[in-house]
Amino acid sequence: MDKCQFCGKPAVVHMTQIVNNKTTVIHMCSECAAKHGLFGKEGLPFALLSNLGEALFSGIKKGSTVNGLICSKCGCTPMAFKETGRLGCPHCYEDLKPLVDGIVESSQKGPVHRGKVPKNRTRVEIEKILTTEPTDDGASRPEKSRKSKKSGTHKSKIEELRAMLDEAIKMEHYEEAARLRDEIAELKKTKEVGE
Amino acid sequence: MNNFVKKLFQDSNLRRETIPVVVSSRVRLARNLVDSRFVKYACKRNLREVANKCESVLLKCPAIKNGSVLNMDDLSEYERMSLVERHLCSQEFIVENNESRLLLTDDHVISVMINEEDHLRIQVFGFDLNFRAMFDKISEIDDHVSDHLDIAFDERYGFLTSCPTNIGTGMRASVMLHLPALVVTKQINNLVLTAQKLGFAVRGLFGEGSEARGNFFQISNQQTLGLSEVDILSRLTQIIKSIIDYELNSREVVKKEKIVWLYDNIGRALGILRGCYSISSADAINCISLMMLAADFEYLPSGLRDDLNQIMMKIQSSHVQVLAHKALNSNERDFKRAEILREFFATVPNLKFT
Repeated sequence: MDKCQFCGKPAVVHMTQIVNNKTTVIHMCSECAAKHGLFGKEGLPFALLSNLGEALFSGIKKGSTVNGLICSKCGCTPMAFKETGRLGCPHCYEDLKPLVDGIVESSQKGPVHRGKVPKNRTRVEIEKILTTEPTDDGASRPEKSRKSKKSGTHKSKIEELRAMLDEAIKMEHYEEAARLRDEIAELKKTKEVGE
Repeated sequence: MNNFVKKLFQDSNLRRETIPVVVSSRVRLARNLVDSRFVKYACKRNLREVANKCESVLLKCPAIKNGSVLNMDDLSEYERMSLVERHLCSQEFIVENNESRLLLTDDHVISVMINEEDHLRIQVFGFDLNFRAMFDKISEIDDHVSDHLDIAFDERYGFLTSCPTNIGTGMRASVMLHLPALVVTKQINNLVLTAQKLGFAVRGLFGEGSEARGNFFQISNQQTLGLSEVDILSRLTQIIKSIIDYELNSREVVKKEKIVWLYDNIGRALGILRGCYSISSADAINCISLMMLAADFEYLPSGLRDDLNQIMMKIQSSHVQVLAHKALNSNERDFKRAEILREFFATVPNLKFT
């Protein structure tokens, strides 16, 4: 008989959780299971929570350089993330980008937000930010945080939209594809006018 | 007893429309303030400021009617746990207690966890698959919040959250399903694997050696970035509908091929619930699961489904202690649980096998 992972008593509850194709099994006695909430609880049990950072970390492709990164605002590092499974502040998404991208690649559906935008920041406004402000390093980085509203060039935006268009066609999301096609055309027009 | 918790238990007599297989559903949004550290890395003072700011904005939200804010420090341990058992907040929320506050509406349909893992976790609950209505409601609250607070958002990553597994929409939608026939016919493992491959997480409790234990499974979306909210919800609805069909078909198979087993187990379970003097929550849940099946098959009035949902909640460890008005050890809980069950099932009519 398996033993409870928390207190060593005979385990009667066996919980299996699969995250990113990784299976974790937890054995608990009835008292510890009750203490950890039977099934009303949201999210992961604590035994799994501590492993979440590690699980996500292990999903990052080998060879990506995340060591040495540090958030200039809160001091969070990839090691701190590995331990806690949590980032330190919104700015981490900028300063720890390689780490975030590695996790996004292994755990998310796509690389770009497709959903709701805060009401006070409509898509139009975002497009405006993306298309009017030049980047300081010339690289295509439309993914700046809200605080620093700097962003990508026309070219990078169009490239990004094209990649999204390809993906939409691949996924057979034709309505979305049509919208992106129009958006690219519109952007090209603005570019020409601008030049 | 805390007045708020007391009220919560009185209000649990609210009637709800229920459908077979679906126990409950939920949509949750994670949001953070742009200028503050995420909860895990913030100091108490900072968290208090965040909590004060969020609380005052939320209380003025027109979509939140009759909301009250509960300070976790004011509750006993088992009172706090009873909120978790009711799905109103998470375990992490009550254990970590980072200046945590819970906003809850009188009808228990909306809850907002302030300073859980993210500064704001807005939740809307339902008892069917009407995600559209749930999303409209939550979106209204979200709009109000982003109108009055500077929310961390990025063009590429969407809403920024403490854990990158929640970025993008910051939305998780989940449904708790009752799937006894898929468990009995041993098809559940396949289903879990298939759902997982499609990008959905399946959580459930499996008890050793007992086929009927752990018939409750929570299905939720795993991915939050790269899909719109509407896409996520329609995909989830689609898979849930297929699972419901799968379960209902399997129930017909069970009825056809295992009718004696079915009648025997349902009959014995009702006997236990009416006559027990000490019962563990796992055993009680097994028996109640069979009563839910009986209500779905109309061996019991189908109107009982909602009562069965409620009684299942009431027999969980912390609820038992709230009802007893004191902390109880494991044996005392089993005894009190049996008392609650005997009292309720004495009022349930006899089974009518058709």
